[in-house]
Amino acid sequence: MTHQLFRWTLLGLVGLAVTTPGCSRWIDILPSSTVQQESIARLIPDDERVPFVMDGFRLAQNGAPQNPSTDMERRLLNIVQETHLFSTLVPLGRNASPLGDKVVTARITFDETIDPHPGESAWKGFIIGASMFLLSPVIDLDYDYATQASLELERWDGQLKRYEARSAGAVHYKLFGATPIMIDELKGRVTEACLNDLMAQLVQDTDLYMASSTPAPDSPIRTITVKARNPVAPPPAHSILPVSTAPAP
Amino acid sequence: MPLLVRIFTALVLGSLMSTTIAQAADVSPTITVGTQEVGLAGGYMIPQRLTDEHVTNQQGPVLMPSWMITITDPVGSGWYRGQVSIGAEVVYLQFREPILTHGIGFTPKIKYTFVGLDHIRPYLEFAGGPFWTDLAGNIPEESVEFNFVLSAGIGISWFITPQTSLNVGYRFQHISNAGIEYPNLGLNANLPFGGFSFYF
Repeated sequence: MTHQLFRWTLLGLVGLAVTTPGCSRWIDILPSSTVQQESIARLIPDDERVPFVMDGFRLAQNGAPQNPSTDMERRLLNIVQETHLFSTLVPLGRNASPLGDKVVTARITFDETIDPHPGESAWKGFIIGASMFLLSPVIDLDYDYATQASLELERWDGQLKRYEARSAGAVHYKLFGATPIMIDELKGRVTEACLNDLMAQLVQDTDLYMASSTPAPDSPIRTITVKARNPVAPPPAHSILPVSTAPAP
Repeated sequence: MPLLVRIFTALVLGSLMSTTIAQAADVSPTITVGTQEVGLAGGYMIPQRLTDEHVTNQQGPVLMPSWMITITDPVGSGWYRGQVSIGAEVVYLQFREPILTHGIGFTPKIKYTFVGLDHIRPYLEFAGGPFWTDLAGNIPEESVEFNFVLSAGIGISWFITPQTSLNVGYRFQHISNAGIEYPNLGLNANLPFGGFSFYF
């Protein structure tokens, strides 16, 4: 009786030791390439905050253009909202004309790079299957994801400023630990890191987006692009021609 | 009607009743890395005697519950764009001819699914593993009960919901003992099958 109990306990422990590592997975997020800046906290009067209007949203996966999701746009707007830098956030396609002249127009581009290592995974899968799954606890499968975000903000006076951030990560998993959720987790964390990086850069320029601010004298861009900000709103009659201005003194 | 056929028919009809055919028009399955598939397939084994020395006319119903996991996102472009999944299957054979005997095996399998047609997805599959049958010893082709079963096949999955598909296909199946003991001519069979899968 004792021998049998011992044998089954031992078998159970061995089984547990073999199967538990076979279900594991972990996510590595690579540190951002952008130099981390110190967080700043300051109080902005309400009348100094201007509306933030989404004007363009592009998404590409491995270079191929994709339809951006509203979830992604909402996520971006949420993280912008958390900065409390702007008075109102206007999603893509909404009419921004009632908001007045002083608005900040945003265009964002996400370029995602996905590398699921398909050939490697297929071979490893074949080997795992051929071993009757005995090798599943010792063979890792990988899925890489990186995103590069470019946020272009245009002030009401036409001054442009571009922010860029890049973030990358990988999920490493054993066969029995694979689940579609892990890919969502990876993409979510990488995107979050990228957006946080963007926002860290954005808040450094808080002064630039306050209603009373004047164009920065050292800004490299001095071209005002005059165009309809929103296809819904009729273009103002006095701003039809492109105008170039000299840098402010 | 044999019990196995009745059980299988009930399962297929049950899965059909839980969906509606009208849903099929707007079905777009989302199968990514880590998506798991649990399926049940049934068919009928039809003997394929490749030489004059093959004399056994083995036939009978087959039941194949399976589990698979997708390990790649869609790869390639064009008509061959597809995904790889691996898994395992239990194969149960009931030999009704030449004598009522049974066989059961466990086979790891690998499948390549073509995803270009969205909710109608052809696939190729290969499987192989140990197989036990008490038919061996009663026929001239096989001498020992421990054997291996190998199969290669094609099929089509028709997604009636994003998580459910009906499958039909054909497999060529080979059973032999890898030279453990002679005679070892092996048994070959054609195996048309149908079934369904759930994805999660």
